[in-house]
Amino acid sequence: MNLVRLGAVVKRETQRFLRIPIQTLIAPWISATLYILVFGLIIGSHIQLFEEMSYIDFVLPGILMMNVVLSALGQSSTSLFFQRWTRVIHETLTSPLSYVEMITGYVIGAVARSVIVATGIYVIALFFTGANLSHVGWFFFYAVMTAIIFSLVGLLVGLWAEKMEHLSILQTFVITPLLYVGGVFNSISMLPEKLQMIARFNPFFYLVDGLRYSMIGFTESNIMGGVIGLSAGAFLLFWIVLTLFKRGWKLRV
Amino acid sequence: MNALEIKNFSKSYNESIAVNHINLTVPKGEFFGLLGHNGAGKTTTIHCITGISTFTEGSIHVMGKDVQKDYQETRALIGLSPQEFNADIFASIEVTMDFVGGYFGMKKKDRTKRIQELLEMMDLTDHCKKPFQALSGGLKRRAILARALMHDPEVLILDEPTAGIDVEQRRALWKELQNLHKAGKTIILTSHYLEEVEHLCSRVAIMHNGSVLKELEKKDFKQNGSLEETYLTLTGSAL
Repeated sequence: MNLVRLGAVVKRETQRFLRIPIQTLIAPWISATLYILVFGLIIGSHIQLFEEMSYIDFVLPGILMMNVVLSALGQSSTSLFFQRWTRVIHETLTSPLSYVEMITGYVIGAVARSVIVATGIYVIALFFTGANLSHVGWFFFYAVMTAIIFSLVGLLVGLWAEKMEHLSILQTFVITPLLYVGGVFNSISMLPEKLQMIARFNPFFYLVDGLRYSMIGFTESNIMGGVIGLSAGAFLLFWIVLTLFKRGWKLRV
Repeated sequence: MNALEIKNFSKSYNESIAVNHINLTVPKGEFFGLLGHNGAGKTTTIHCITGISTFTEGSIHVMGKDVQKDYQETRALIGLSPQEFNADIFASIEVTMDFVGGYFGMKKKDRTKRIQELLEMMDLTDHCKKPFQALSGGLKRRAILARALMHDPEVLILDEPTAGIDVEQRRALWKELQNLHKAGKTIILTSHYLEEVEHLCSRVAIMHNGSVLKELEKKDFKQNGSLEETYLTLTGSAL
């Protein structure tokens, strides 16, 4: 891996989202503030899920995780799609960049955007609650690994999409619904027994639950299972994306 | 040594054959012209040389290296100025050149020096901070050429480099291209301006419907009065 070449891709990707901060950073901060305010404070002050924690502390990890997922996905998918659409991708295809360098550059750019968005939300949350960090290491592991996974998913979307509308299909019909029923706003113990079983097949439940454990020490799953799942998912997705880049699928006509 | 060696190369898009078993050799240091009507297969050939397109039949070597097996080495040897403007329209040419230099592994100090050289060479210094979309057609052409030269490539491929620019700027660009040729670069040029090809190239190949019809040396350009007449006769388009 050549660090100069990789650095150029990372710089291009980070400059891309820093050029449009209202869309890429400020919008998620405002929407997270509203979630914290409405669900955490206004409605949350009337909800007591568990004796030992406030509702705002319970929902904050889910709000953070939603934004990590959507920022990483949005960054890599739109970046790759627009580069294909405007043929700016030819700049990289005609250069000596290796496929690993190309993909890693997109991923680092998307992780950077997710981390900035998550940090901003965390700082905003400090105005409303203690925003605990019980296990800092786990917090970074879950946030960064989730961002890596969804930046790779975003690359698949960016390769597959033929028109702009395609970019939002996965987010609208799969990711957002699964996130909302993945334990962002409620404990799965609140669900009927049969739905609890189904909820455990939702991968987003493990992401939210892992981040919640890292922040408030509360978990409804096996943390090590989440670690294995996230690591395996990241390796598998990287291999799929690398294979498609090597074959030139939708990249080299 | 040959800068470019194409053997039995074909490329199809679904059922449509774009290039059909062509053979071409361009020695190092030559100013070579690739002529043909729209859809003759020139751009497809260029895309396969540079890595924009894949191919499964035949072989293409640049400076003795296979463009598919040794793709990183061959891409480092080529600079491409494409027919279409494919730069980031929101970024300035200075920023774009800095990224491209980085993709080719150039360190920051070398990139900065090279960008200044090229901006001066292409008379772009006053426009280097403007977003690409704010540049005129002629400035965009020069900016794209400057980008292609960023890593000081051995082989320069120019696909319609003077399309849409005025006669003064075209002449100025010819001068720059001649200087690059004198400095030892191999240049492969496609153009619909046959007087441009006649003026600049020492040899041409005429492509027609995906095949190479004929290769001509400079002395043969005017066998029918002018290169244009020769071209029209060979392609069967003469009135």
